[in-house]
Amino acid sequence: MYKGEKPARISLLIKALNRLAPKNMTFMEVCGTHTVSIFRNGIRSVVPQNIRLLSGPGCPVCVTAQGDIDAIIETAGNPGIIVATYGDMMRVPGTSGSLAQKRSEGADIRIITTASSCIDLALQNPSKEILFLAIGFETTAPATASMLMEAKERAVHNISVACFHKRTPPVLEKLAMDKDLKIDGFLLPGHVSVILGYEPYRFLADSYGIACSITGFEAEDILLGLADLAKQVMDGTPCLHSTYQRAVKPGGNKLAVELMEKVFVNSNAVWRGIGEIPDSGMKLNENFRDYDAISKLDMAVRKVAPPKGCRCGDVLSGRITPRECPLFAKGCDPVNPIGPCMVSGEGTCSAYYKYSRGGRF
Amino acid sequence: MGKLNLGHGSGGRLTQQLISEITGEFPDDAKIPELEDCTFINGGYAITIDGFTVSPRDFPGGNIGELAICGSSNDLAVRGIKPEFISMSLIIEEGFELEELKRYMKSAALICSKLGIKLAAGDTKVVPSGSVEGMFITTCAVGRSVTPFKLGMANIKTGDSIIVTTSIGRHGAAVGASRFKLAAEALKSDCAPLWPALKDLVDIEGLRAMRDCTRGGLGTVMCEWAEGNNIGIEIDEDKIPVREEVHAVCDILGFDPLYLACEGCAAIAVSPERETEVLEKLKKHDICAEASHIGTVVNSHKSLVGLRTSIGGIRVVDMPVGEMLPRIC
Repeated sequence: MYKGEKPARISLLIKALNRLAPKNMTFMEVCGTHTVSIFRNGIRSVVPQNIRLLSGPGCPVCVTAQGDIDAIIETAGNPGIIVATYGDMMRVPGTSGSLAQKRSEGADIRIITTASSCIDLALQNPSKEILFLAIGFETTAPATASMLMEAKERAVHNISVACFHKRTPPVLEKLAMDKDLKIDGFLLPGHVSVILGYEPYRFLADSYGIACSITGFEAEDILLGLADLAKQVMDGTPCLHSTYQRAVKPGGNKLAVELMEKVFVNSNAVWRGIGEIPDSGMKLNENFRDYDAISKLDMAVRKVAPPKGCRCGDVLSGRITPRECPLFAKGCDPVNPIGPCMVSGEGTCSAYYKYSRGGRF
Repeated sequence: MGKLNLGHGSGGRLTQQLISEITGEFPDDAKIPELEDCTFINGGYAITIDGFTVSPRDFPGGNIGELAICGSSNDLAVRGIKPEFISMSLIIEEGFELEELKRYMKSAALICSKLGIKLAAGDTKVVPSGSVEGMFITTCAVGRSVTPFKLGMANIKTGDSIIVTTSIGRHGAAVGASRFKLAAEALKSDCAPLWPALKDLVDIEGLRAMRDCTRGGLGTVMCEWAEGNNIGIEIDEDKIPVREEVHAVCDILGFDPLYLACEGCAAIAVSPERETEVLEKLKKHDICAEASHIGTVVNSHKSLVGLRTSIGGIRVVDMPVGEMLPRIC
């Protein structure tokens, strides 16, 4: 809630945006936290009409492939297993049921807020196997890595990691290459950039001519990021800027990057609705193979088509807005979600439904 | 709906569905169709009931015993009913420490004597280990109306002012923080009896409705008023009091303060002419020092709640669906 001088700065930014964006421009916010902040702050209602805001593949739960979700839910019911998960996964619908449903049927599922809780769970429950659902981008992956290093060091063996971590730069390249999307600028994810720094994104401006602005999450940050993108587009000089210097260092967080390098190797990964993208995933390397849930618990990850009519994939890649999905608010809503974009707190469909239902706002 | 999950108990949209399933089993002549915090019965009396399962039982700013009296008596207070009697049912897991039980009962008794409430009936069950987590309390409160008006959401009209009696979300944030082991020293539940403050308002002509913002928080109450009465409500983000420490917990866990539970906070709808008087009377009480006018009943977007954001934008406030879950990042 802004006090003092902030309102004046914000109205200046809104005026600047109107001046800087005289023609049609398409910007994509990559991070799910950006999507939610844009809706919660009513930013769409104050930016000029000719700026089209697309939401990208930045909700970790939403991009997790249906086959991965099914494998998790299937394994969750096994006696002897305690599932440790971030809360977002609980209500995500698999082909049959969700973790919330499994829990109501008696599965032992614990919501944790940090990967390191797995160690405590493992020590407190020596006769059980802790299955950790490692979901998320470069933001949550270092915490998984750190937990695994500790587990190995302390010889805690009853932990399995279903490693579905994903990398941001490869999916952005895929979107940049997509001629149908015609993205003029990316609002780049502040949290991921805290880890990665600037360099991994530079190719977007250099090779694809797309304006880039690493942006924070307050309303003011987002307006500043949008103004920066509009200026780059109008000046015809797309490049990589950061408007989030208070948190992001150009070199990123070296310690976190090293942790990831010690534990993961890049691998191909399936993104829901987008398909397989080379090198866009992280799997456990040789040294941590003993913790890999897929082999340890014999989890069956199948290729599964998303539910009929669900266009989460097209929403995630910015191809359509949620309202263009035939199921949006007609069969798919937050009470009965069909795809993960409607259920996750950071899902684009959920944000569209919750914050601007029926386009009445 | 098949099987129930925790979301059905969260106070949001799923709870609403479950309640209609339950009451649907009762024929019309065997129930009173009021979806308010308490219901008027005969002779000016009103009744309410509430179950308390909070975990942890001791939370910053209160405990389950105190909460069990505040919760039920507040449900009466918001309709201008002076709480007079409480019946209490305890379901306790074997192995429970007697000392702990007595401590909660002492806290409960303290609130009762403060409000002049008499413990009228009780029931105690001790169940095998594992059947409940420690202890659950259910309290049924009965009291008599001391207002000439029948307060309720049906009275709310276009142009009415919306007031909140204190800063929102403190109970939910305090319990959430202790459940997820976040250190937040300043953070305390707002758990408190509302009757001492609300009794000063009940003679004000133009007081339309009051509602205890418990499970589901202020946001859910606003949605229930808008949907239940087919009215549009617009609230102003900058005017809604939220303490820094509540914001901080919300930022970390990905919660929205609008939906966090309160246990000593009411939303009030009043005719605009009497708004100042309501605020003045509230602010004489310590627990309502942060009382604030937060919005208005409008003649547009019927059945929807709009939030005017800090940056001058507008968006919908929707009723939450189920359990609030901490997000990934």
